[in-house]
Amino acid sequence: MEGGSVELKVVDLKKWYPVRKGIINTLLSKKQQYVKAVDGVSFEISKGEIFALAGESGCGKTTTGKTILRLLEPTGGHIYFQDQDITDLDKREMKDLRKSMQIVYQDPYESLNPRMTIYDIIAEPIHVHHLADTTAEVNELIYKSLTDVELVPPEEFVGRFPHELSGGQRQRVAIARTMVMNPRFIVADEPISMLDVSIRAGILRVMLKSGEDKGVTYLFITHDLAYARHICDRGAIMYLGKIVEMASMDRLVNNPLHPYTVALMAAVPVPDPKIEKAKAIIGGEVPTPIDPPPGCRFHPRCSKATERCKLEEPKLVEVEPGHYVACHVD
Amino acid sequence: MSILQVQDLSMYYSTMKGDVKAVDGVNLDIKKGEAVGLVGESGCGKTTFALSILRLLPYNGRFVKGKIIFDNKNLLDIEDSVFNKEFRWNRLSYVFQGAMNAMNPVFKVGDQIAEAILIHEDVEKDEAMERVKGLFRLVGIDPNRVNNYPHEFSGGMKQRAMIAMALACNPDFIIADEPTTALDVIVQAQTLQVINDLRNELGLTMMLITHDLSVVAQTCTSCAIMYAGKIVEYADIDTVFSEPRHPYTKALIGAFPSIKESKRELVSISGTPPNLLDPPPGCRFNPRCPYAMEVCSKEEPVFRQLVGRHYAACHLLSGGEA
Repeated sequence: MEGGSVELKVVDLKKWYPVRKGIINTLLSKKQQYVKAVDGVSFEISKGEIFALAGESGCGKTTTGKTILRLLEPTGGHIYFQDQDITDLDKREMKDLRKSMQIVYQDPYESLNPRMTIYDIIAEPIHVHHLADTTAEVNELIYKSLTDVELVPPEEFVGRFPHELSGGQRQRVAIARTMVMNPRFIVADEPISMLDVSIRAGILRVMLKSGEDKGVTYLFITHDLAYARHICDRGAIMYLGKIVEMASMDRLVNNPLHPYTVALMAAVPVPDPKIEKAKAIIGGEVPTPIDPPPGCRFHPRCSKATERCKLEEPKLVEVEPGHYVACHVD
Repeated sequence: MSILQVQDLSMYYSTMKGDVKAVDGVNLDIKKGEAVGLVGESGCGKTTFALSILRLLPYNGRFVKGKIIFDNKNLLDIEDSVFNKEFRWNRLSYVFQGAMNAMNPVFKVGDQIAEAILIHEDVEKDEAMERVKGLFRLVGIDPNRVNNYPHEFSGGMKQRAMIAMALACNPDFIIADEPTTALDVIVQAQTLQVINDLRNELGLTMMLITHDLSVVAQTCTSCAIMYAGKIVEYADIDTVFSEPRHPYTKALIGAFPSIKESKRELVSISGTPPNLLDPPPGCRFNPRCPYAMEVCSKEEPVFRQLVGRHYAACHLLSGGEA
C-alpha cells in the first residue's frame, strides 16, 4: 500500500475541551484550563490502507477519529480528505461528504436505535443521502448490504429489532448501515472490543472485505495491539493527546523506539505459556490531560528521561524511512 | 493434594421462560498451590460456577445436583451461618468483576476492607486498620491512602484494593473474576504481576476467570475451558496450548491473536453460543463444530481422562483421533 495516493491527511489537529470553572475561580479570573484531548496530531493515510491508532484509555484516539469526521469541531489544525480541506466546510457541504466518510462505533448495543427495525436502520442513510429512488431499489440495497455482512437470508433479519439479535449480529447490522453508503473512508472505533473472542475475526472480515474489493481506507482505533498487528498496515501510538511513534505495524511491534511504545509492547500478554511473561516495565498510570506535564508528556514515567525531556517538547521525526518517533533520547 | 473438588455440579437459574442451565454437570479438581484459569465466552457459566462455590448466587439461582468438596467437606451440606463464619472470606474469597463499581462510593476504601476483617474476626478497629495498611503495602498501594474514597483511586489502584480486600482474612483459596478486563494493557501487566507475586509469596491457590487466553497463559498453571455450562477440556497450561484436543479449545486458540506471531488471517468460530434455556442435545458445541458427527447431536460426550491430568469431553476422543 506504500506510495499510494494520500486519501486522508491530518495536520496539527487539536481538540481542546474547556474545563468548567466554579464561580469563585471565575471571580478570581483564574486562567481557563483545557483538557487537551488531542494536541497537535499529524498523519497521512494512503488510499486502501488500514491505519491503526492505538493507545490506552484517555489518550485521545477516539476524539481524533471523531474530529476527523467533524463529529466534533476541531480547536485547531486541518483535515484533508482526497486533497480537499474539509476543516471549514459548512453543514450542507459536510452532509454531501458524509456518505464518503463514515464511522463504525464500539458498542452495537448503543449505536442502533432499539425502536427501529433492521430494515429502517439501514434504510435511513439511503433516504438521507437519496441513494435510491424506488422502493424496489431501496430493498435491493438493504438486502445486498445484509448479504455482504453475512446476515443471510436477509428476509429473516429485516423485520427484526436490535434486541432480537446477538451482539455480533448487531455489529454486523451497524457495518451494513455504514457500507450501504459505499464510503471511501471509515473510522472503526474499537469495533470488536465489546464482542466475544470467537466471533471477532468474522466481524473484522466483513468490515474489511469491501475495503479490499473497493480500496476503502480505514482508521482503526484500538487499544488491542494484538489485533492491530494482524489487520493493520501501519499504525500510530498515542499518549496524552500526542502521537509518540508512527511506523508500519511490523516495525512498531518488532522494533519499537519510543520508551512508551517499548513499555506498551512489553505489557501485551501473549497466548503462549512458553513465551516470557508480559512485563510492566513502567509504573504508574496515564495522568490527567488537564495541564499535562511540560516537555515530553511521558517524562515523569520514563526511565530514560533527562533534563531536556522536562523542558522541551520532542518533535515527531523520521528516524528511518516511514518510521517516526517523538523522543529526545537516542 | 486436592484443595477443591467439584463433582457433577449443576446450578440453574429459574426464569419465567424456564431453567437457564448455566452450570450443568461440571467436574473440576484443583490442587493446592495451583492457579487454574477458567476460560470461556460471555454467558458460558464461568461466573455462575465461581459464585456458586462461595454461595453467592442471586435469589433465582438454584442448586440442582453435585458436590463441592473443600478441605474434605462438602460445602453444600454446611449451614449458611457456619459457612459465613468459617469459610467465606476466611478460607475462600473472591475478587469481584468490575473493580470500578465493586466498592461503595460513600465509604473510605480502608474502612470497606476493615469491615471484612471486623465481621470475620474478633479484633479491634485499630488493629484491623493496621492490617489494612499492611495489605495495601502487599499489593503496592501507599498505606497512607487508606482514608481515601474510591473515586480518589485510579482504575489500577481500585483493582489492587479489591485484591487486598480478598486477602483480608488470609484465605487459602481466591477466585478472581476477570481481574484485568477493564484495565489498560500496562496496568493489566502491573496487576498480573501483583497477582503472580502474591501467589508465590503466600502460597495461595487461585482460580482466575477470564475470556482472555493470553492472561491465562501468563498467570496460570492449569486451564479449564468452559462452553455452554460445561467444562470441555482441562489440562496443565502447557498441554492446553500445545496439545489441545477439544475442537472448541483448538478453535478458541486459533481465534486468539498473538502480537508475537507474524501477520496472519484470524479465524472465527462460525455461529454463536447456544441459549442455555434450551441447549442443543448431545454435545453442546456440535452446531458450531467442524468435525461434528452423527453421534454428536444425539449423545452427550463424557468428560474423560486422556492422559495424566488431561481431560476432555468429545466423541472424537472416545475411539478415533481428533
